[in-house]
Amino acid sequence: MMIDVKMTVNGQERTASVAPETTLLTFLRDSLVLTGSKLGCDVGDCGACTVIVNGNAVNSCLMLAVQADGKDITTIEGLSDFEHLHPLQAVFEQMSSFQCGFCAPGMIISAKHLLDKNPHPSKGEVQEALSGNLCRCTGYTKIVDAILELTSEEASAA
Amino acid sequence: MSKKAKSATKTETIDGLKTAAEGAQLPSVSRIEEHSLLPLTPDANKQTPAVGQRTTRYDARPHLTGQTMYIDDMTFPNMLHMKILRSQHAHAKILSIDVSEAEKMPGVVATLTGREIPVNSYGPSYQDQPVIADDRVRHHGDPVAAVAAETEQLAKDALEKIKVEYEPIPAVFDPLEAMEEGSPKLHGETNVYASKVIKKGDAEQAFKDADLVLEKRFSTQMVEHVPMEPHASIAMWEADGNLKVYSSLGRITLGRADMARTLNMPMSRIRIIATIVGGNFGGKNEITSEPILALLSRKAGRPVKGVYTREDEFMSSTTRHPFIMDYKTGVTKDGRILGRTVRIVCDGGAYCSWSETTLGKGAILSVGPYNIDNIHVEAHAVYTNKTMTGAMRGFGAPQVCFAYESHMDDIAHELGLDPLEFRMMNAFGEESPSPTGQVLESVVVRESLETASERFGWKEWQK
Amino acid sequence: MRPFEFVAPETAEKAVAILAENSPNAKPLAGGTDMVVDLKHTNAVPKVVVDLNKIEEFRGIEMTDRGLRIGSLVTHTEIMEHPLVAEHAPAMIDAARTIGAVQTRNLGTLGGNLVTCVPSLDSGPVLVALDAEVTVVGNDGRRQMPLTEFFVGPRKTALNPDELLADIIVPTAMLGRATHFLKFGLRKGQALALVNGASSLRLDGGKVADARIALGAVAPVVIRAGKAEDLVNGTDADEAVLAEAGDLAAGECKPIDDFRASADYRRDLVRVLTKRTLETAYAIAKDKG
Ligand SMILES: Cc1cc2nc3c(=O)[nH]c(=O)nc-3n(C[C@H](O)[C@H](O)[C@H](O)COP(=O)(O)OP(=O)(O)OC[C@H]3O[C@@H](n4cnc5c(N)ncnc54)[C@H](O)[C@@H]3O)c2cc1C
Repeated sequence: MMIDVKMTVNGQERTASVAPETTLLTFLRDSLVLTGSKLGCDVGDCGACTVIVNGNAVNSCLMLAVQADGKDITTIEGLSDFEHLHPLQAVFEQMSSFQCGFCAPGMIISAKHLLDKNPHPSKGEVQEALSGNLCRCTGYTKIVDAILELTSEEASAA
Repeated sequence: MSKKAKSATKTETIDGLKTAAEGAQLPSVSRIEEHSLLPLTPDANKQTPAVGQRTTRYDARPHLTGQTMYIDDMTFPNMLHMKILRSQHAHAKILSIDVSEAEKMPGVVATLTGREIPVNSYGPSYQDQPVIADDRVRHHGDPVAAVAAETEQLAKDALEKIKVEYEPIPAVFDPLEAMEEGSPKLHGETNVYASKVIKKGDAEQAFKDADLVLEKRFSTQMVEHVPMEPHASIAMWEADGNLKVYSSLGRITLGRADMARTLNMPMSRIRIIATIVGGNFGGKNEITSEPILALLSRKAGRPVKGVYTREDEFMSSTTRHPFIMDYKTGVTKDGRILGRTVRIVCDGGAYCSWSETTLGKGAILSVGPYNIDNIHVEAHAVYTNKTMTGAMRGFGAPQVCFAYESHMDDIAHELGLDPLEFRMMNAFGEESPSPTGQVLESVVVRESLETASERFGWKEWQK
Repeated sequence: MRPFEFVAPETAEKAVAILAENSPNAKPLAGGTDMVVDLKHTNAVPKVVVDLNKIEEFRGIEMTDRGLRIGSLVTHTEIMEHPLVAEHAPAMIDAARTIGAVQTRNLGTLGGNLVTCVPSLDSGPVLVALDAEVTVVGNDGRRQMPLTEFFVGPRKTALNPDELLADIIVPTAMLGRATHFLKFGLRKGQALALVNGASSLRLDGGKVADARIALGAVAPVVIRAGKAEDLVNGTDADEAVLAEAGDLAAGECKPIDDFRASADYRRDLVRVLTKRTLETAYAIAKDKG
C-alpha cells in the first residue's frame, strides 16, 4: 500500500508516495536525503532523530511519515546554511560543545524548540528540555553552558 | 614526478631529505623548515600555551549543520542491507544451519554462514573469535548467519527463515565458577586464558610486621559503551579486484590485518576508509561484521551496508570487563603501607578481544599510586558464556581505581586517619618506582591531591 | 516494520466500524510512542492500523457538567500547559511532567498511556486518586466506567478490540482537591517508575477525610491502599500516623523483583512515597483552609 503525502519540510513543499510502515525519520533520510537527523536507538530514547513538527519537537523514529501529512517540519538542515549559522549553532561552535557530533542535530533541534517556547530558560529548564537527547561524549556540561551563554547574551543585549 | 627525486634511505639526514624534496619540487614539502620532524614534547611541569585556551573544533561546523557524513548517511548505487541472525543460546553446539528457505525469499540476494569464511577466527591478542560461529555458539548473541537483501526489513524477515539446529551445552556465567575444574569450558582445556603476576618484596612478611591488616573484596559490573552511532560499515569490491570498506572502525590498520587474515587475502588489496566516528570509547577498536559484508558483497556483486541495531550493539559488541578484586593491605599504626596483595579475576566473556591488554594494565595499576615495597598481584582473565569484554576508556584502570581508593578510605577509617593525609603520606613522588620497576618522572600525585582538595573544600567539609 | 494498511477515519463511529470489520487484525494508533516501538519489534503487525488523529471529538480539554473532560488524544504536553488542568487538577501536571522527555510528551497521549496500561503508567495514580471515569465508544454506542474498572491487568484494559477510549473525566466533586503525586525512577529524566503514587484528601472539621492513596508499579494495575486510607481518615496526619500509613501501604502492595529493583526496595519506596504524598496533600489542604 502506498499513500500520497504532502508536507512542508524546511520551508519547501514536498510531495511523495510512501508506504505506511515508513517512519518520518526513514522518509526524511532515505526519500528526501536529509541525513542530518540520525537513527541512534530506534525506540525514542536517544533523541538523535528529533525534528520539529508543527512547532513540537518529536522523535521522528516514532512517527509514521503518513502521520506527517499536511504538517510543517523543520530538520537540522532547515536551520541554516554552512555560512550563516543559527545563533545556537554559532554558540555551540564557539564553545566546542560537541565531540563526535552524532547527537548534535537532535540536540540543537531540542534546544531550538526550547528557546522558541521559552527564550530565557533557567539551567534546570535547559537540562529538562534536553533530557530526551543523549550524548555519550561530553557529559552535557558544555552543551548546557552554551545555551545559557546565548540566552544571557541575548538578555543583556535586549 | 621529476627524475631527480630519490627515495629516502635510513641513513639519510633531514638535510638530505630536504635536498631530495627540493629536487622533487613538490609544493607540499617546501614548508619542511617550519615543521620540525622531531616530536614536540613540552617540558615536564611546564604547560604549553595552548592549555587553558578556548579553541574552535575544526569539525564543529559540519557536525552542527548536520552535514557530517557518518556511515549510515552514505548510500551507493545498488546497495544491499545486511542483518545478522544471532544465537538465542548462551552455549550450544550448532548441528546444522539451513539457509535455503531464506535464499528463496524475494529480495534476498545472498546469505553467509561461518563455514564459508576463509579463515574463521580473529582477535587482537588471540585469534579465538569466529566472524560467524560455525560449530559452536558461546554467548547469547553470537552471530550464526547473515543475510544481504534489498531492504533492511527484508533482510530481517529472512533471518526468521533460517533454520538452525542447536544442541545446548552447559554454560558458565560466573568467572569464579568458570575457574573451577569441573566448569563448562569455552575454548580448550581451561577458561583461564591470560594471567599476570607482579611480585616485589615479601608481602606475606609485611603482613606479619603490620599493625593492621585489612581485607576486602570489590567488584564492578559490565558496561556497554553505547556510542550514539552504532557500529556501521559498507563493503564493496572495486574493478581491480580490491576490497573497499567504509567503516566506523577506530583502528583501521588492525582492522585491515584482521580482514586480511579472515578473508585470506593480502592486506595491500584491502582499503578501509575511516569516516568520522559517532562515538567509539574503545568499542570500535576491532572488526565486527566487516568480513561478513565483504563476503556478502562478493557473492552479490553489489555494495552491502551493515548497521548494528541497538540490540546488536548491546548483545554483540565489546563491553567493559567486570572485575572481582580481592585486596589485602598491611599498614603501621601511623599509616605507612607495608604490603599489599591483589587478586583480580577479570570476566572476559566469550572471547578474548582486548582482555589480555586490559588485564596487564589493570594489574600494574591495581596497587595504586602509592609507594609500597612489598607487593603481590595476581590477575586472571577468564572466559564465561557472556558478551565479550574488550577495550573501554581506561583499559582496566577504572575498575582497580574504584577498588584501591575505596580500600584506602576503609584503611584510613580503621586507623582513624584523615583519608587525604593517609594518601599524601604514601603517594608516589618524583622517581618513585612503579610496581613493575619503572622509575616515574613528572609525578604530581600529591600536588594534584592538594589542589583538588583545596578546590572542593576538603578541610571545611571534614569538620 | 512489516507492511500494514493505514486508515485515518474522521469520526469515532467510522473508526470503530473499521476495527470491527477487521477484528482482531486492526489496531488503533494515537501518538505512537508505545505502538510504533511495538510495531518495530513484532513480526505480527496488524493488517490495518487505524490512526485516530483526525477524530476531532477525541481532542480538547473542557469543563462539562460532569467535570473536567480530557479527550483521549490530548498529549502530555497539552495537559502540562492547559489552564483548566492547572486550576482544577494540578497534580495531573506533576504526573505528566515525569513522562519520558519533551519529545515523548509532545507525541504521547493520555489515552495511549491509559490503554497501554503498564503497571508503571504515570498518569494512572493521580487519576485513580481523583476517581476519574472514562468514556468508551463501541459499535453499540458509548459506555462510562470508573478508571479502576478500565484497568484490568498488565497491558490489559476493559476495551474490546473494536472499542476506543474517547475521553477521561475528573468528576466535579474531585476538582480542586488537595492531591500530590510522586514518582521514583532510576534517573531524573527518561525513566520508568520503580514506584509512583498519588494521595488526595479533603478536610472535614480540620481532620483528614475521604483520603485516596493510589500506587503504581507495585501490583498488576494501579491499586488503592485501603487500609492506609482508613487509618489516616479522621486524623491530623501527624508524623506517627503517616509512618504507620506508609507501613500499611507497603503491606498492601505486591511488587515484583526485576532488573530495575527488588520487591523489597519497591516496598520501601512505597512506605516513603505514601508518607510524603499524604503529608504534602494534607499541607495543601490546610493551605486552602
Ligand atoms: C522514550 C519513551 C519514554 C517513555 N516514558 C514513559 C514514562 O516515563 N511514563 C509512562 O507512563 N510512559 C512512558 N512512555 C510510554 C508512552 O509514551 C506513553 O504511554 C504514551 O502516553 C502513550 O501514548 P501514545 O499516544 O503514544 O500511544 P500509542 O503508542 O499511539 O498507543 C498505545 C496503545 O494504546 C492504544 N490506543 C491509543 N489510543 C487509544 C484510544 N483512544 N482508544 C483505544 N486504544 C488506544 C493503541 O492501540 C496502543 O495499543 C515512554 C515511551 C517512550 C518511547
